[in-house]
Amino acid sequence: MKAAAQVIMDTGAHAAALAVKSARVDVVPGYPITPQTAIMEALAAMVENGELHARFIPVEGEHSAMAAAVAASAAGARVFTATSANGLLYMHEVLHMASGGRLPVVMCNVNRGIFAPWTLWADHQDSFAQRDTGWIQYHCSSNQEVFNTILQAFRVAEQINIPIMVNFDGFAISHCLMPLTLPPQEDIDRFLPPFEPEWRLDPAHPSSFSNVTMAAEYATFRQMLADDILAAIPLVKQAAREYQEITGMWDGDTIDTYRLEDAEVVALAVNSMAAELRLSVDILRQQGIKAGLLRPRLVVPFPSEDIIQVLPRNAQVMVLDRNYNYGHPGGILAQELKGALFGRRNDITVKNRVMGIGGIDLPRRLMADEIRAMMEE
Amino acid sequence: MLELRINGFGGQGSVTLAHLLAQAALENGEQGQALPFFGVERRGAPVRAAVRMSPTNIYAHSQCELPDYVVVMSEKLTEAAISEGIHETGTVIINAPQAVAVKKHPTWQVDAEAIAREAGLISADGPFINIPLFGAVCRVLNIPQHIMEQTIVNKWPGHNGERNLGAASKAYKSVIQINL
Repeated sequence: MKAAAQVIMDTGAHAAALAVKSARVDVVPGYPITPQTAIMEALAAMVENGELHARFIPVEGEHSAMAAAVAASAAGARVFTATSANGLLYMHEVLHMASGGRLPVVMCNVNRGIFAPWTLWADHQDSFAQRDTGWIQYHCSSNQEVFNTILQAFRVAEQINIPIMVNFDGFAISHCLMPLTLPPQEDIDRFLPPFEPEWRLDPAHPSSFSNVTMAAEYATFRQMLADDILAAIPLVKQAAREYQEITGMWDGDTIDTYRLEDAEVVALAVNSMAAELRLSVDILRQQGIKAGLLRPRLVVPFPSEDIIQVLPRNAQVMVLDRNYNYGHPGGILAQELKGALFGRRNDITVKNRVMGIGGIDLPRRLMADEIRAMMEE
Repeated sequence: MLELRINGFGGQGSVTLAHLLAQAALENGEQGQALPFFGVERRGAPVRAAVRMSPTNIYAHSQCELPDYVVVMSEKLTEAAISEGIHETGTVIINAPQAVAVKKHPTWQVDAEAIAREAGLISADGPFINIPLFGAVCRVLNIPQHIMEQTIVNKWPGHNGERNLGAASKAYKSVIQINL
């Protein structure tokens, strides 16, 4: 008899650890940082009590955590690590080694505002500051989506040999207890077969990689990475579809939409605030405003074509950024959107607000009021 | 969607109370959410947690701005808790040794501390008032007693849960609506 899915109550951080366990990872290097710590604690406990047959490597900092991840991945292991905020920034150099080395590491970044001054709570400056490291980036808006996306990320990363960052908000998701559906392990194994790298570091067959390259070779590697990141879009869609066929669960593919078809005013945001924005859309609809929601799940590569296709004619798009685009007014999502639309959708108006920095609470009424105020501008 | 906020002091067990309520919602066939607000944790500092229950998916992730219910874990916090926001028809549930009422809001009172002490639910830091409060809040929310009890049994199976079960059931029966 086929096993049934199980529904439990769980936090976003623990849901991430359960997904990593079901992905049957081989190696988990880790260094704790609030609010990511709960993921590492759970994985360390799972390794300790034998639930997860993996090597847990405690290290002295995030730079080493990613260095260990790079080395283990090059040796052919399925590797996971996680971090937040300044931990992610400390990894910056090694993030490039993972992407340039074409190593399919999957990492959770639990979004948190950046020092200085210190903050513990969510904004998106940390992940957006790593936009140009050659990593694919998902941004998730629910505990279930975190679980589902980690499994999809392993699959896409290993198909295209590019590391993937799965982002979700600190506390609002990581420490939020919600129902979580766990598909049977046999279904997950069917969706995510064991990692079989095309090449690996192997002492029995000595070789070296990531050596010095001359300009023409270097440029070729860089061009391949740039092309392949764009080529991930159909794989992201295929992974979402096949995950849905097997588990029945759907969070969107490159984007997720709500009441968008006839919308004249479109809210655009990522992560947990985009979940609450559904309720803001309902409030605006009750007030007679034809509002809708467009939530990019994928931020790198930016799903430009899907957004161009799906935006209703003459819509005003209200981009709510939880980050700053220093040197420009507003935030980074708005800049990405404008870049995507320029010359393609001149009927669209883009307006922008930076909100929720350092974890400022974003209740549905506040965001609905802000969108109404933006309409007047 | 039902929204509830817990206001308490660090060390009173507000996170566990929020988790129990969200788990009771699931046990009751609904969706539940517990969203504690984590600050710079210190024993004795004011803390809060949001709880939501709904027959359909919960999308909200903010702290409850205008909750339908406010649970005040210590009488001293009543005024501060109300000033943080409550729906105009919102209900207040207060842990207090005697009858108290909040103006303009239906108020329920339970002596969670006495019930916890009587049940021997005491740690070095004081009584576990969150357990009786869980029973009392379930009663006020009209969550059936057997659902409340099953939630405790699931969390603390066997002998360990018996004192918790007794205290929560006592509070379920003794929480009263105050008419001043």
